[in-house]
Amino acid sequence: MQKRLFGILASIAVIAAACGGATTSSAPPPASQAPGTSAAPTVSAAPSVSDMADEQILRIDLHGEPPTLDPNKAQDSVSISVLHALNRGLLYFDKTGKVVPAAADLPEVSADAKTLTFTLKDGITYSNGDPIVAADFVYSMKRVVDPRTAAPYAYVMCEIAGADALLGADLGCGTKPGVKDPAAIDAALAAFGVSAPDAKTVVVKLSKPATYFTSVLALWINVPVQEKWITSPNATEAANYVGSGPFVLQTWSHSSQIILKPNDKYYGQKPILTEIQMSMSAEPAQEQAAYEAGEQDMVQTPSEDVIRVKADPVLGATVVEIPTTSITYYDFNNKTGPTANKDFRIALTQAIDKTAFINATFAGVGAPANSFVQPGIPGYQPDLNPYPFDLVKAKEHMATALTALGVPNAAALGKLKFGFNSGSGHEPRVAFLAEAWRTAFGLETEQIGSEFSVFLTQRHAGQYAISRNGWGADYPHANNQLGLFVCGGGNNDTQFCNADFDRLLNEAAVEPDQTKQVALYQQAQTIMYEDAANLPLRFGLTTFEVRPYLGGLEVGITDSQLPGDALYETIYIKKH
Amino acid sequence: MITYIGRRFLWIIPVLFTVSIITFFLMHAVPGGPWDREKRLPKGTEDRLNAQYGLDQPIYVQYINWAAAFVQGDLGPSYRFQDRRVNDIVADGIWTTVQLGVMAFILSVLVGIPLGIFAALGHNRGPDYVATSVSIIGIATPSFVLSIMLIVFFAVQLGWFPTGGWKGPQYWVLPTIALAGFPIAIIARYTRASMLEVTRKDYIRTAHSKGIRDGAVVSRHMIRNALIPVVTILGPTLAFLVTGSFIIERIFGIPGVGQFYITAISTRDYSLLMAMTMLYAFAVAFLNVVVDVLYAYIDPRIRYS
Repeated sequence: MQKRLFGILASIAVIAAACGGATTSSAPPPASQAPGTSAAPTVSAAPSVSDMADEQILRIDLHGEPPTLDPNKAQDSVSISVLHALNRGLLYFDKTGKVVPAAADLPEVSADAKTLTFTLKDGITYSNGDPIVAADFVYSMKRVVDPRTAAPYAYVMCEIAGADALLGADLGCGTKPGVKDPAAIDAALAAFGVSAPDAKTVVVKLSKPATYFTSVLALWINVPVQEKWITSPNATEAANYVGSGPFVLQTWSHSSQIILKPNDKYYGQKPILTEIQMSMSAEPAQEQAAYEAGEQDMVQTPSEDVIRVKADPVLGATVVEIPTTSITYYDFNNKTGPTANKDFRIALTQAIDKTAFINATFAGVGAPANSFVQPGIPGYQPDLNPYPFDLVKAKEHMATALTALGVPNAAALGKLKFGFNSGSGHEPRVAFLAEAWRTAFGLETEQIGSEFSVFLTQRHAGQYAISRNGWGADYPHANNQLGLFVCGGGNNDTQFCNADFDRLLNEAAVEPDQTKQVALYQQAQTIMYEDAANLPLRFGLTTFEVRPYLGGLEVGITDSQLPGDALYETIYIKKH
Repeated sequence: MITYIGRRFLWIIPVLFTVSIITFFLMHAVPGGPWDREKRLPKGTEDRLNAQYGLDQPIYVQYINWAAAFVQGDLGPSYRFQDRRVNDIVADGIWTTVQLGVMAFILSVLVGIPLGIFAALGHNRGPDYVATSVSIIGIATPSFVLSIMLIVFFAVQLGWFPTGGWKGPQYWVLPTIALAGFPIAIIARYTRASMLEVTRKDYIRTAHSKGIRDGAVVSRHMIRNALIPVVTILGPTLAFLVTGSFIIERIFGIPGVGQFYITAISTRDYSLLMAMTMLYAFAVAFLNVVVDVLYAYIDPRIRYS
């Protein structure tokens, strides 16, 4: 399970980079909108009663037990999928990722764009009937940045005034280390720029103009949290859970099932469903079997079943394919060994037929990738492909590389270490690539399958010449993509280090004009791929099977686990 | 006898102590940690989490802290399921796992022993070949293959049982069969071998020559003697079954603790992993002692002092 933070934080990368000295606010990301303009939530055409089944129960599988339902601490897609139903913050997202009102209307923004003032809607209450007050938002946001909470997503709050003292330079926020001892933490929290002048007003003060910060405030981490609730024992168990969203947590049988019921105290659009049953199978084959046996309404098709399912006349009709902003790529070690040689990397790149790779190892699902920035994200370059599949040219480059390396043939290099994590379906892909290189050049690789954490540690330490990698966009912005490859970056397992590339990324980060910014990112990406720094292979596409009788699915970029799961309240069951 | 049993039970303590030391230091020696993701958390977040969970302490201090809490019955916080204590996680799942294990154990004994006897009585004839084939298939089929086959055939095709979950008796059937498959085969083979050995003993020939009916010879003399070696493997088999099966629990979506034995390793959930190891070590050690004690009742020749 990976953290996914979609469509939302276009700002954050810019924030981190802007610490270098931005003077104006960055270009607004596609997911954000100018404050002050009001927008109603997108609602699908209301279903007519005659269409609706008598029983409005949705049955889905979460693909595992949620690690936590504490909204301030959650970071993974399973937890977020449930939290989207249980809680709503000041603002929320529609399916396009646009910020819309929730507990409050869109904020009043001060002239310097550094103060956002929210007024809560009238008469809004939690699922237990207690009023939702401004102080609960303040408590919740302070809890996120409190080092004692150790919330994984705390760093997204860096833009709030006073956050740097709490988060510190090690979270990419400010230049000084964060405060450590309890008294200093309490003092820093008191100075933190979120306040509630009265029960209905929340004021958020930012350290710099950042109109896009509304996107951060719409995240699951910033929902209202009652102090007396979250500090009580077993607060997140079903019997005690106090939420503010369209559904309530009826039961949570750990590792077995979650049942949600409509929250009759909810102030927003009332759900049509009368119940959501979420099971927690961790085994894709079982989930698929449960769908085929009619026990589930949606399932993510396991990759080994995709071909069979699509060919099946019944199941095939229910297939829905949704592009994901993700990429499958393989790292070359740019620092040491034969892969530090540019011609060598070019040869390896040109020896791979990406379409054949996808057909053979991904059941043909997905699109060939020749660059890193994914389709749908500004900066995507469909025409960038400096080294297309060409065995003749590949051999020429290999010959040049071998001369430079001073060896007579590729076999004389010995076995290159080729790392991957075993047991996650990567074996055929690794075998495909290794075989392609062996056939083309006589190059031998030692394919090392390790347990996941071991693999991550060794890949990060640069112990492989070639290694498997993948990336899913946290938010649709090129900085969250190319930012990986800055010299010494925390996720730069390619060990790529290019001064021109770094310079262009720094320039892009402070460029307010979005068109110019995108052009800078594209220049940087071109440099990286003319250098054949890594091997991009496939842009992601996820196959789901969805019952035709599900209505009101608002498939969007804030979905967490399943199509439409950011807006459960619009889903209904048609007659069938 | 009482002293002997008491001493044997006391020996479990040093066994658990040794197991805990080896496991604790091995698991911390393995690269990686509980906060590893494909996308790395910021260094500062990792440091904070480490401090919160005491992972910034020297390893021996961590062990002492763990051991001190363990003897007081506190298994610590889970690293993966952040709002939950390991005590709660184990308490939630253990009875489901034990229930499944005991049902599978009963099924394996009820099927395995008769199957072995049946094979031995028809030695080198039809019944033997049938029974032996069944047990070889049982040993050779991995439980995930058996599980998926059961799901595909009985749940998807025939629709007799649900594909997974644990909400009532109809949910118990397929996992119990899947979990019992391997022990049935093992028990049947042991029983068969043991029966064949007993058949050639002098006292069986004597019994036959005294004119006792065949049925009585089998039930009173052969089976009783033949079961002694079988009891030896029943102990570890029961320990194996009641501590749960990762594969079966995962495939059938059963909310037991067996699944955590593997997931705790892959997610580096140290406290949960320690709890699962101690649980398994205790079950094996304890049931081995129970088996030794049982010998004395089954076989009057065995006396402890």
